[in-house]
Amino acid sequence: MNQNIQRIAELDRVIHEPGRLMIAALLYAVDKADFLYLQHETQMNKGTLSSHISKLEEAGYVEVVKTYRGKIPQTLLSLTPAGRGAFEQYRKKLKEAL
Amino acid sequence: MDQIESILQRPKLYNNIDGVGELGTGFMLLGFALLSWLQARSPAGAIWHRMDVFAVWVGLMLLGIQYGSKAIKTHITYPRTGFVAYRRRDSTGTAAIAFVVAALVAAGIALAARFHWNSALHLRLTTPVADFGLAFAVAYVFGFARAVRWKWAVVGAIAVCSAAVAMLPEHMLGAVAGDASAVGGISGVTAGAWLLSILAYGAILLISGGISFVLYLRHTQPPTQAVA
Repeated sequence: MNQNIQRIAELDRVIHEPGRLMIAALLYAVDKADFLYLQHETQMNKGTLSSHISKLEEAGYVEVVKTYRGKIPQTLLSLTPAGRGAFEQYRKKLKEAL
Repeated sequence: MDQIESILQRPKLYNNIDGVGELGTGFMLLGFALLSWLQARSPAGAIWHRMDVFAVWVGLMLLGIQYGSKAIKTHITYPRTGFVAYRRRDSTGTAAIAFVVAALVAAGIALAARFHWNSALHLRLTTPVADFGLAFAVAYVFGFARAVRWKWAVVGAIAVCSAAVAMLPEHMLGAVAGDASAVGGISGVTAGAWLLSILAYGAILLISGGISFVLYLRHTQPPTQAVA
């Protein structure tokens, strides 16, 4: 029991937050996705989603590229190799803890 | 953990959120059905039997589907619910793997029906076609039906159509195929069953994809301002 609690304490806090976990899981399954897709899937408002993405970007887990689709600005997001590794580790540790 | 797994599946299911995957497959099947009909209804020397015509036909169909799907995604889906680029290994698709596995099982059943159960000649000829339909239904489950509950009705429709075509009277199947028995040694019954099957699957997928597309347009809003 003690070990399990310790494992939960070892979970990556950046990813552990539900909103960021959702973003990381969605990005893990794709090569890249845009801001609108994440907004559609997570049902978060722009401000909340931006704030979570900034935290993931600060941790080096997400790469953000501002580009254009025709004349429309587009924000493309993808998990970095570090982000992919961190998400895999998180899943592994969570599985062990549960 | 289950919730994480479910989130991980969402991007794959997003691929057909607008029904474009089904519309593309439906058009392709109807294209093949039309070509098969032209081949069955024309004499052996007609252009429809030439390999180069077949290649051009398939090429045009694939180009139409590729650019048509791309146009819908670019002008309707991405501005409404966002853009996703899939990882290369995902593009091979569980549906394709499921189809191959199911087709192998179906081939086994067809062989068993032919040699072991010694069924009537008509059913022996049409069993492979019905088995193809069942394999197609399994692939459809993995490719499309997992995402939306009502699409299980489509799975049922595909399975029922496959069985119904296999059991149609011999003279009806032969009439559909016309002179097919004179071409390439294919029996009129098999050709007729094949033609009717792909016609039915194409129509079913087109209807299902069309419903998905209309529902998608109803439940999503066009963008009112530039995407963030």
